[in-house]
Amino acid sequence: MFVHRRKPWQLPEREATPEAAVVAHAAAKRSGPSRRALIGAAAGLGGVGLAGGHAVLAQGRDPVGWWDAQVANDPSRGLYPAARNAAYTLDRPLTEAREAIVYNNFYEFGSHKEIWRAAQRLETRPWTVTIDGLVATPKTADIDTLLKTFPIEERLYRFRCVEAWAMAVPWTGFPLAALIRWAEPQAGAKYVVFQSFENRAIAPGFRQTWYPWPYTDAFTIEECGNELAFMATGIYGKPLPPQMGAPIRPILPWKYGFKQPKSVVRVSFVAERPVGYWEKLQPSEYGFWANVNPAVAHPRWSQATERMLGTGERRPTLIWNGYGEQVAGLYSGLANERLFA
Amino acid sequence: MRGFMRLLMGALAALLLAGSLWPAAREAMAAASGTHHLIPLGQLWFEIDAPSLNMTQAGLQRHVAPWLWEDVVQPILELPAWPVLSGLGVALLLLRPSRAPLARG
Repeated sequence: MFVHRRKPWQLPEREATPEAAVVAHAAAKRSGPSRRALIGAAAGLGGVGLAGGHAVLAQGRDPVGWWDAQVANDPSRGLYPAARNAAYTLDRPLTEAREAIVYNNFYEFGSHKEIWRAAQRLETRPWTVTIDGLVATPKTADIDTLLKTFPIEERLYRFRCVEAWAMAVPWTGFPLAALIRWAEPQAGAKYVVFQSFENRAIAPGFRQTWYPWPYTDAFTIEECGNELAFMATGIYGKPLPPQMGAPIRPILPWKYGFKQPKSVVRVSFVAERPVGYWEKLQPSEYGFWANVNPAVAHPRWSQATERMLGTGERRPTLIWNGYGEQVAGLYSGLANERLFA
Repeated sequence: MRGFMRLLMGALAALLLAGSLWPAAREAMAAASGTHHLIPLGQLWFEIDAPSLNMTQAGLQRHVAPWLWEDVVQPILELPAWPVLSGLGVALLLLRPSRAPLARG
């Protein structure tokens, strides 16, 4: 009997890398090594400047082109663009994708805004999300399994950073409430902690061992159940780029951006109120709730207005980032809490 | 002037040497309990004043140049605290100007 055994190098057609991705990577390679790689090598600083292959390839490329090349390799690309949920509308024009994807906070990769290049080191496949703590059964799910479990949709949301810049973007993802139900929390679970990735080999921030890595933050289980709370897996009709928290991150649009960890690997249900990354670092400036409010200034700057990415337009900040109708009720009876820091 | 410099460098050296005792003692205690780990300079700064460390990083990376932090400052902060502090203290002691010769009548 003839038995056909597949050789390790034999791949089915469906697993072949698309031509567009190969061409894009080749073009990126021709752009040469990064300035940081050269500086690092010249200074003999070991791994400091020796960016990983992807980071080197990303240098000098158009960020949208780079993103497109990544999307071509993303196994979830067929799910995008998802149908837009018409219930969520904006009072302002959408921020240009080109602006939104190159102005990011991702502290594992640095404290500056041009981390998009360094963030390309983040490999988003394979990727798993672990659900643990006070749940019926702890579980770990592959990101693509999650994407098949929860139907995705597109929502237009305002996004407000505590640093007084803002954007208006089309997130793709699924309601956070669906994930909470799927996790089957126990009765004692009061808070949900989101933990960002912790691959110390790819992000220079982790070498600063004095910071409270991994980046975590948390919400009450009631906040997570709000209709606006969203697990974003994409933006602008494509899978998220690494610098924006690929492959999955929570979005609670009435809160400042720092509350919403990127590239989530763990979701834990706990009984006691956790202290998030920034609250550990600077509790006088950053608290647990961090809801947007123009009348409550940051200790070092005003929150009265916000600067829109791309246009630079100054707009008055909206309390609860304009989502008061949906979320203000969550905070009745909490007047003594520091709700807006 | 010579005397003032000698005094200043001596005081700074004493401060650095005294400052190195804290992480050195902690490392020694940790070693005694079998959990030895080095305390980097950044850890010391973080414990003394975390906001100023964080703001310095953000200020340098956002307003000067990202690489200045990642490639210059951060590697220094990753160095173990007590050898660096005590080394600097000893260097200052050695480099301070010698005592001025007494005037002869």
